[in-house]
Amino acid sequence: MSFISMQHIEKSFKGNVVLKDVSLEVNKGEVISIIGPSGSGKSTFLRCLGQLETIDKGTIMVDGLCLVKTGADGKAVYADKKTQRALQIRMGMVFQQFNLFPHMTVLENILIAPKMVKGMKEADILPIAERLLKKVGLWDKRDEYPSRLSGGQKQRVAIARALAMNPDIMLFDEPTSALDPELTGEVLRTIQQLAEENMTMIIVTHEMAFAKQVADKVLFMADGLIQEEGRPEEVFDHPQSPRTQAFLQSML
Amino acid sequence: MEYLAQIVPVMAEGLKVTVSLFCVVLVLSIPGGMILAMIRMSKLRVLARIVAIYVYIMRGTPLMLQLLFIYYGLPFIPYIGIQFDDATAAIVAFVMNYAAYLCEVFRGGIQSIPKGQYEGAKVLGFTYFQTMRKIIIPQVIKCVLPPLANETINLLKDTSLVYVLAMNDILRIMRGIVQRDFDTSAFFVAGVFYLLMTFVLTRVFSYLEKRYAVYDE
Ligand SMILES: Nc1ncnc2c1ncn2[C@@H]1O[C@H](COP(=O)(O)OP(=O)(O)OP(=O)(O)O)[C@@H](O)[C@H]1O
Ligand SMILES: [Mg+2]
Repeated sequence: MSFISMQHIEKSFKGNVVLKDVSLEVNKGEVISIIGPSGSGKSTFLRCLGQLETIDKGTIMVDGLCLVKTGADGKAVYADKKTQRALQIRMGMVFQQFNLFPHMTVLENILIAPKMVKGMKEADILPIAERLLKKVGLWDKRDEYPSRLSGGQKQRVAIARALAMNPDIMLFDEPTSALDPELTGEVLRTIQQLAEENMTMIIVTHEMAFAKQVADKVLFMADGLIQEEGRPEEVFDHPQSPRTQAFLQSML
Repeated sequence: MEYLAQIVPVMAEGLKVTVSLFCVVLVLSIPGGMILAMIRMSKLRVLARIVAIYVYIMRGTPLMLQLLFIYYGLPFIPYIGIQFDDATAAIVAFVMNYAAYLCEVFRGGIQSIPKGQYEGAKVLGFTYFQTMRKIIIPQVIKCVLPPLANETINLLKDTSLVYVLAMNDILRIMRGIVQRDFDTSAFFVAGVFYLLMTFVLTRVFSYLEKRYAVYDE
């Protein structure tokens, strides 16, 4: 069975149906890219997995644990709070707007969650934080506040912060969309590096070249449905659905 | 000079009244304002609406009117009428009024925190309580400090309204002295007392603001 299994997810906001019937299977170490036009439900789908939205219908299993399944009455039934939180901690999420904590330094941003959530001792987290900040190239910025960093630096801190919880899965929601074009590279390289280390990742992105290069599987989403999915060469070079073809045309 | 030495200790007695009233009201209206803000922003629709109306009334009518009503008017209300002594009436009126103002201060502060901060904390596994304590409240404090300083200094000056009751605060004692001696020195002594107190408050708040100013945004 696959590592992440999302089956027949349905979700609407006050009558506005955003996810109609979306399913996705992800194996351990796999990198999935989700592309698609604005408003197609990509973020919503990712946020359902990250437990920032609740689904109306469908099943989500992660590593054999059930987060939510459709009950007898056809409505989604969530697992108990303990299971929800256990799964939450195993997933890291990176947002378009970084969402760093502005009142904490870079280092404090990294330390706080392992300390508060996992109850780790500072002495045990420090070496991890150092390794992660060095990895994203920001160890010498550790005592700066986020407001003093560039967008690309902020996003790399956000990635390091998520990694400090040692997640099994990383979710990215347009991690480079808020960045100046010349700063996207440094963030994409960091994500690329994670891919090489076999991190399981789902990446919503508008960077087609990057999606093609980093993903094992690409999903094209429109109107709350997955219109096409497959290996990047297939989807990008030989798109089957006219919707995909039109979208890729428009992205050129 | 001799005259000053004579009136200052008398007026200092009034200072005690002013300072005690100020402290009691501040200590009660800060948590009061927080609770009102939480209700106002909660999903308890009806209660939230009631708090909104309450705040509107408290901010839309003069504090003097509220003070007079609670002291002189309340005893005449059928069934619920109660007669407070002057200190209690003053405390009740001030706390009710300032809690309403502070409700808006805290509400503004909490609403200024972007949703992303809650989401950022949630995906890291923070509980609601941890999120509030470590992420939201420290940021709220920073952004409510300037308006809180304003309200605090207003409160200090507003306490002088109790002279319409029979409370011997600085202002009432001052008036007594001026009417007795036909001498204006007491005005200046009272002014200096207030200035000293606002000076202390300003320093306290600028210290706090500096402590929280290490980051911007
Ligand atoms: N919290 C919400 N409340 C109401 N409607 C929402 C909410 N979040 C998203 N929507 C709606 O759901 C639809 C899909 O939004 P979503 O953010 O998932 O799209 P997206 O594919 O991520 O788009 P983009 O590329 O612009 O980020 C949109 O029509 C949006 O208005
Ligand atoms: Mg989106």
